[in-house]
Amino acid sequence: MNVQVVGCSHHGTSIEMRERLAFSPEQTREALDHWRRVFPGVEAVLLSTCNRVELFVATENAEPPTFEQIAQFLARFHDVDPAEVIEAIFHYSGEAAVEHLFTVTCSLDSMVVGEAQILSQVKQAYQVAAEHDNTGPLMHSAFQAALKVARRVASETAIHQRRVSIPSVAVADFAKQIFERFDDKHTLVIGAGEMGEETLRYLQDEGATDITVVNRSLERAERLAEAWNGRALPWDKLFDALTEADLVISTTGAEEPIVTSETYTQIEPARNDRPLFILDLAVPRDFDPAVGDHADVYLYSVDDLQAACQQNRKRRNKELPGAKRIVEQETARLMADLNHRATGPIIQQLKQGWQKPKEEELLRLLNKLPDLDERARSEITRSFDRLLNKLLHPPLESLRDEARDGIPHVLLDALSRLFQLKD
Amino acid sequence: MLSGVGIVCFSASYAIALVLEVSRLLFRSGVRGIAMLGFAGAGLVAHSAYLYHRFSESKVHRLSSEHDWYLVAAWILVVVYLYLVYFHPRTAFGLFLLPLVLGLIGIATWFADYEVRESASWGWGVLHGSALLLTVVAVLVGFMAGLMYFWQARRLKHKLPPGRGIQLPSLEWLQRANSRAIVVSVLALGVGNLSGIVLNHNRLTADRLHWNDPTVLSTQLLFLWLLGTAIAGVFYKPARHGRKVAYLTIASFIFLVITLGVGLLLPTGHGRDGQAPAAGEQGAAALAPPQCPPCVDSESSRSLTALGPTVLGGSA
Repeated sequence: MNVQVVGCSHHGTSIEMRERLAFSPEQTREALDHWRRVFPGVEAVLLSTCNRVELFVATENAEPPTFEQIAQFLARFHDVDPAEVIEAIFHYSGEAAVEHLFTVTCSLDSMVVGEAQILSQVKQAYQVAAEHDNTGPLMHSAFQAALKVARRVASETAIHQRRVSIPSVAVADFAKQIFERFDDKHTLVIGAGEMGEETLRYLQDEGATDITVVNRSLERAERLAEAWNGRALPWDKLFDALTEADLVISTTGAEEPIVTSETYTQIEPARNDRPLFILDLAVPRDFDPAVGDHADVYLYSVDDLQAACQQNRKRRNKELPGAKRIVEQETARLMADLNHRATGPIIQQLKQGWQKPKEEELLRLLNKLPDLDERARSEITRSFDRLLNKLLHPPLESLRDEARDGIPHVLLDALSRLFQLKD
Repeated sequence: MLSGVGIVCFSASYAIALVLEVSRLLFRSGVRGIAMLGFAGAGLVAHSAYLYHRFSESKVHRLSSEHDWYLVAAWILVVVYLYLVYFHPRTAFGLFLLPLVLGLIGIATWFADYEVRESASWGWGVLHGSALLLTVVAVLVGFMAGLMYFWQARRLKHKLPPGRGIQLPSLEWLQRANSRAIVVSVLALGVGNLSGIVLNHNRLTADRLHWNDPTVLSTQLLFLWLLGTAIAGVFYKPARHGRKVAYLTIASFIFLVITLGVGLLLPTGHGRDGQAPAAGEQGAAALAPPQCPPCVDSESSRSLTALGPTVLGGSA
């Protein structure tokens, strides 16, 4: 049994090299087909994302490819100098390869630890390989275990729950704590900053549809509004729009606050105490911080959100040891299973070797006792079966124990010789 | 077998469920949710068995005892808790609801030794008692939502991301729960009041409760408060939104406590047989209907000298 992973990631490989080695979905399929032809009988799954390119390979019986062969395969596919590729990529085998797969799938190796996207990317890579017949029992075991480990990490740690980007924190940790739904809320976008657009994307994912854009340039506002299926209003309608709004995303380049506590006080009665979520992403700030002192106004600046992101990052880091422990436990479990599986042929031979004499002796005994009724015959048969199982139990248990630390070659050899088992 | 189920059985289950809820603050666990549901569910089964045993063994309607009335109120709150936990497993409803449940059970044990009288006007009594029971549960749920609202609003004002283990519903959800609690409580108390008037009218003139009975007055005060709150919500938009509605439900809870407390501390004929007891002897019987003359006996008169709603006593 042999499991390996060869690849590169954001940890030690430049983005230029990652770009050269990256596989598009079509290229992935092509590469997998090519792999099957070059290394028949060797299972492979190819994972290619913007942060990593990794080729997982495994074989039970076929000759495993060497690191150099795998590196050359990658290099030739992309027409890159193999020496350059060998220099840039990593290689793990056996338990380290399995642990790496689990670590990646659980998003513990991601650029943003805990981000959820990698799990679906791993799933997709596995599915594509399975559809192209590049997977076998080893890859099935490894990837299904990886998905299970990711679920366990998600349920037993809070590593995925802490968001660490400003727009995601703004929406998930704050806006969604104020509003239950977004499809009936008025969203007001003031200005046209990039982060505002990204936040708006998150809000639209949550169902926000009623979007109003106010900008000093009406033309720009109309362009944005069209892109977001919203409506544009001229700058002098800002306070009317603010009166109607439930959520505000402000990203203007104004040098002074555009809304002060005094101006907000003027529109406050018309709002009827409806909660107002304000995301002030502008620097300098568009909203006077005193606006946040008004009841039912929840005002967040970039610094507030950065602080929340930082806090979440720290909390995620605190979850890391727990998540890594789970990965280690599950790696050991899978390795024991895989090693134990390698003992399968010997176990089968052992069982079959003992089965034949048992049946012969049982037959002889039953022939000598023809007067036995059906119940007695059945009892004797069961007794023989139990005896056989009890005799086999200690060697099988020893094999299982030894398999925890790797394939028990010495024990397998001893069993083969003791019981004259043939390969 | 059911007779072996005691208050301690289900109280302990609820207390363990509460401890598990509190442990959300300390650590994460994959099995805590199931354990919480398990303990609260087991408590509810024992609670139901206890009530069933009491109700089936008694010839009189057990809701006319303060003990059972409070236990039924606690039972309904546990059902509400289980419903909420089932659909919102990550939300810490138990932190707020289970202390109320244990509080109601605690008050119920205070009345454990009180006798129950027979109710003559069964139908009106059931309506009256059930409506008042619903009022109390609605006010308590509103109180819970109000507290959660302020906790959540404080967190958001301080710009803190959701805390470890403690998930709270959105302000919008809590605001809606608050508003609904007010509407349900005002409707239920309205029905309770009307049925109470009918019960009183059915009494002999000499035994009728006077309008200035402390319990009647405090209950009417609660009703007026709830009605005012509901009307304000219809005609004055700010009363429907944000903190105001949370303040209103918390104030409703305070009125409820006053109403229940008045029955304990002041002489009242409510829940008794027409005569007001001496101070210190009387029961609060807050929100409770008057009891029926035919069921007067020396034993039963003690049953009404206690804090808490004597709900089902009907007037004959």
